[in-house]
Amino acid sequence: MPEATHPATEPVDAAPAALAERLHRAGYIADEALATTLWLASELQRPLLLEGDAGVGKTALALALARAEGRRLVRLQCHEGLELAQAAYEWNYGRQLLAIRLHELDPQSLRETDLFDRDYLLERPLLQAITSAQPCVLLIDEIDRADEAFEAFLLEVLSDWQITVPELGTLTARHVPRVVLTSNGTRELSDALRRRCLYHWLDYPTLAREISIVRATLPLAEARLVEQAVAFVQRLRREDLGKTPGVAETLDWVRALHRLGRPALPDDPAALDATLGCLLKTRDDRFQFAPERVLRLLEGRAAVQTGEGVATRPG
Amino acid sequence: MQAIAQPLQAIAGFAASLRDHGFTVGVAEQQALVQAALALPTARPRVVEAAWRAVACHRRRDWQRWPALFDAYWHPGRTQGKTQVSGQTRPSRDLRQVVQALQDQLAGAPGRGDSAPDAVLDERAPADGDAGRSQAQGGASLSDPLHDRALAQWLPQDLARLQQLADRIAERLRRRLTRRWQAEPNGRRLDLRRTLRASLATGGVPVAPAWRRARRERPRLFILVDVSRSMEVHAQLFLRIARAFVGAAGARVFVFHTRLAEVTPLLQRDSATVQEKVNAVAAGFGGGTRIATSVDDFCQRHARAQLGRGSRVWLLSDGFDADPPDALAAALGRVRGRGARITWFHPAAQAPASAAVQAARGAVQQFVRLATLRDLDAATPLLT
Repeated sequence: MPEATHPATEPVDAAPAALAERLHRAGYIADEALATTLWLASELQRPLLLEGDAGVGKTALALALARAEGRRLVRLQCHEGLELAQAAYEWNYGRQLLAIRLHELDPQSLRETDLFDRDYLLERPLLQAITSAQPCVLLIDEIDRADEAFEAFLLEVLSDWQITVPELGTLTARHVPRVVLTSNGTRELSDALRRRCLYHWLDYPTLAREISIVRATLPLAEARLVEQAVAFVQRLRREDLGKTPGVAETLDWVRALHRLGRPALPDDPAALDATLGCLLKTRDDRFQFAPERVLRLLEGRAAVQTGEGVATRPG
Repeated sequence: MQAIAQPLQAIAGFAASLRDHGFTVGVAEQQALVQAALALPTARPRVVEAAWRAVACHRRRDWQRWPALFDAYWHPGRTQGKTQVSGQTRPSRDLRQVVQALQDQLAGAPGRGDSAPDAVLDERAPADGDAGRSQAQGGASLSDPLHDRALAQWLPQDLARLQQLADRIAERLRRRLTRRWQAEPNGRRLDLRRTLRASLATGGVPVAPAWRRARRERPRLFILVDVSRSMEVHAQLFLRIARAFVGAAGARVFVFHTRLAEVTPLLQRDSATVQEKVNAVAAGFGGGTRIATSVDDFCQRHARAQLGRGSRVWLLSDGFDADPPDALAAALGRVRGRGARITWFHPAAQAPASAAVQAARGAVQQFVRLATLRDLDAATPLLT
């Protein structure tokens, strides 16, 4: 909850806190450091590079930022072999040919330069973000999956906010977009790109923050269930897993338990067995967590209310 | 206080101290630090810290080291669990005061904004002796002479160094031409089929021809690590090295003493308990070492389909074999017969002299000493 992270002594004009508030209304609970970084990124007009494990909410942050700022979101999903034609722009060959055919009877009416007009240019996400009439949020997702050549191309876009189309000239941004890049670290990014960005490492949320995330997303789930389930997931993350469950997994799991009509975590691990597929997503992990081991994790339950500083809702 | 009179110097000193610890903090970052300090509310030093962290950190390693470095510079007294050096005292810096002073100073100056801090920042860094001293005090240094330190004392930078070496060696493994083709925008050969298919969209005019090139593949790399009792001391280094190659070259790793087991999936994960898991896999093997049996098992069962011309097999062992002496020669001969190249890494200064290894010498392409990282570095030219 924003009230928890931003005490009442906060000056009203503190812009980062206001941004955190807006993000909260857009459904994303950001801590103070993250809100400050986001605000600074807009202030310095720098892209923000987000790194972190899968499922900690990197992409969700960009989506929420767009909602919070009331801007359009332009998303570029990177993948291996991503080319300029898919990322920036492409000429609409089909339409150009059609135009040529239509003007075949009257060759004078069409000059060659007409064919390289903006009408025949297909704008892909990067160019869309640059030429957009309204300010927008540009999300470049999983940049580590694109190859180095593409990264080098991005440097021009991200530092000068312009794209050069040889036939048209250089197109410069009307409004500098808010850029969020995310990376899972499957490949080391170049220093040049890193230095152009602000950096933020998103970690798994703390217990209190994760509880508030789940409550904000699933307001109908019982408070006791949410607290116990989140505490269970937090303990589970400390185990040696092949794939550590992220926030999305927690949400799935709580949603599943809620649908099953459970007011709290059951004492019997066998009853959980069917739903554990929401959290443990590899065969090895499933195999590791036999009912006895789940029970051991469940038994840490008493610590939720006392040990980790989370207030319980009265009644 | 000196620090308050010279807020820019204090920040420059901080940037210098970050630089000393391997952060990439150039003039641009330093400017951004100052800009952030100017723009943010002074009353909340934690906000300033968060902003600076985003500016100065560029990778996860930086991110994790930040809190300690930040406290070491701005709150030297707060650092816990460290021995404080007596005799060298320095004035404590108050971040809030520094930022306040900076804002006051620039609010008074004409043309407040970017140009003022720029001018000061261009002549870079620590003018006052204070910042200079902080460099000497700042904890662990990056350049560590313990290149070949005992394994129990490995530090993160050793691991990073190992990974670099592995990457370099993997890069050197000669790629082999295959009969297959792959799509490549700058390829030399026209991919007629794809070109025609793509031309349908443009009314049969092949506007964007598709190109391809011959595919080259890295040789397959197999690492066989001896984890018998006689190798206990070295097995940990060998497994670490093997693990680096799993990441760098997609190597498959096996451990053996009396039997052979594959551990590649265990090494692919970034987990602190790799060693325990490998031990668990290897547990229950009998005493002694049966290299020949293990190599045979590897060749005929585990890597039967993959062991081919140009594959590399690295044996990491001291060569003490409980099998009959000529069995090893026969087993390695079979691996060699499949076209694989065998490199034998041994921890001792001399190549193993046991009867089994002597008999098998002909099948082994080379013997390489490997007891420290330095040896691996020295062996790089041999591993192609």
